[in-house]
Amino acid sequence: MVELKNVSVTYSSGVDALNNVSLKINDGDFAFVVGSSGAGKSTMIKLLLKEIDATSGVVTVNGYNLNKLKKRKIPEFRRTLGFVFQDFRLIPSMTVYENIAFVLRVIDAPKKYIRKRVPYVISLVGLQAKSNSYPDELSGGEKQRVAIARALVNDPKLIIADEPTGNIDPELSYEIVELLKGINDCGTTILMVTHEHDLVRHFGGRIINITSGEIVFDEVIGGVNEA
Amino acid sequence: MKLSGVKYLTDQGIENIWKNKMMAFATFCVLLISLMLVGASVLFYINIDSIIGGISDKNEIAVFVNENTSDERIVAIEQELSAIKGVSSVTFDSKEEAFKRMMESMPDYQKIFESLGEDNPLPDGFRVKVNDIERAVDISAEIRLMPDIYYVGVSQEFVSILMELRHIVTLIAVVIIVVLTTVSMIMISNTTKASIFSRREEIQIMKYVGATNAFIRTPFFVEGMITGFLSGTGAFMITWLTYDSLYGILTEKVGVMNVIGLGNILPFDTIRFYVLGAYLLTGAFVGALGSVLFTRKHINV
Ligand SMILES: Nc1ncnc2c1ncn2[C@@H]1O[C@H](COP(=O)(O)OP(=O)(O)OP(=O)(O)O)[C@@H](O)[C@H]1O
Ligand SMILES: [Mg+2]
Repeated sequence: MVELKNVSVTYSSGVDALNNVSLKINDGDFAFVVGSSGAGKSTMIKLLLKEIDATSGVVTVNGYNLNKLKKRKIPEFRRTLGFVFQDFRLIPSMTVYENIAFVLRVIDAPKKYIRKRVPYVISLVGLQAKSNSYPDELSGGEKQRVAIARALVNDPKLIIADEPTGNIDPELSYEIVELLKGINDCGTTILMVTHEHDLVRHFGGRIINITSGEIVFDEVIGGVNEA
Repeated sequence: MKLSGVKYLTDQGIENIWKNKMMAFATFCVLLISLMLVGASVLFYINIDSIIGGISDKNEIAVFVNENTSDERIVAIEQELSAIKGVSSVTFDSKEEAFKRMMESMPDYQKIFESLGEDNPLPDGFRVKVNDIERAVDISAEIRLMPDIYYVGVSQEFVSILMELRHIVTLIAVVIIVVLTTVSMIMISNTTKASIFSRREEIQIMKYVGATNAFIRTPFFVEGMITGFLSGTGAFMITWLTYDSLYGILTEKVGVMNVIGLGNILPFDTIRFYVLGAYLLTGAFVGALGSVLFTRKHINV
């Protein structure tokens, strides 16, 4: 669960990136966050990852009050979520398998579990054949599927995706969102920032529009091909 | 932390060194030179101490009489020496005995001594024990004024030169330690910075997926420690070789120093393990400390 209560963020440069934003996303939701460039979408994502702190207001994610979260508790908190970024953020010197296994090593998961879990998530994103490839040998869509597998691997309650389709072909974007939808169907909450209005119209669901640091629209709309 | 985790982090540390071979090598060299210079000062200090210590251990002054002094005169000298205030005992030390001792203390030169045959170059003498080593210098000055005395072993100048030398070496050692520690730290800082830079993507992702600070820092800690450890090993090897060859040269003088009542230069065998231990521990400690301090600074987790 994600909850923002009267949250404002002012960068040290003086820019007011978010202005008194209140928002609640329940467990199991799928929400799109849209808005023009510079509106404050990434700022909100950084807030949820505790990369930055709110200037005022209360931020709660997965039961952690991020305002009061002690520095040494940050790792524990971050293990409850997954992330997907526009620029994939894969480690170029590691294979697909290693990139994903890395997450589990970092949290000191048992070797046996790693050996079972990693091939499983790779199969979920349909990249069994690319297990031993390096990121440079993959297409944009494939890279992002690796990133999604990585976000999934520690079974997080919430996946935060900041423009996951921003660097890949529009046709492939649908595939990526389908994948995220599938993950959402299994109970994971998903918050996805996007610029692509076609995508949002196509899939529908909860749409949150941020403009100039404020939420100007927050409603559930029907998708074009909603069954 | 599981064993597999420890192995993983150690492997990462070794990989860090490999990725930054040039930087790691530069750090290795600087640390090696630092350790060696510090080690050399310490060894010098220890040896001077051992030499000076030889005097106070024995509480003894070596006195030699002139060649061709008659036996009657020698007996008289013995009585005069015993009469000096502060002298507890006087032992006659024949030139034959002194020669035997000298031969035993320098087994490598047996042949040369044997070739001397009956031509014993040493004079007859006495070993004068004093109650209080503090008075040794005054007593030797007094003995030196006696007729037929050829040489009095403890010379005030010599001891005070050694003392002064020890003092200077201590000062130099302190300066060397301060300067080299600073230089080493700067090198380690830069190497660590380069390592962190080459791993910046991983570090960022590690932070996002909830790695603890300790986990992120450990590979750098391992990297610093291994570099320091290798430097320590290198410094030890070089010190060993240098010390042994210097010892070989100085041994010729050792016998003489023994005869005049001074202590020995320590053979490397007796201090090898201390030197090795000190080098390895100091190297690993400085390396690890440097990287820990600087990962703290450069990785803002
Ligand atoms: N680190 C920062 N320091 C100062 N100002 C910042 C910083 N990051 C973002 N900003 C400013 O805050 C505002 C919101 O930025 P943000 O990145 O949240 O926008 P966005 O909605 O994600 O835009 P885009 O769609 O282009 O990614 C912008 O005016 C931006 O210039
Ligand atoms: Mg953005």
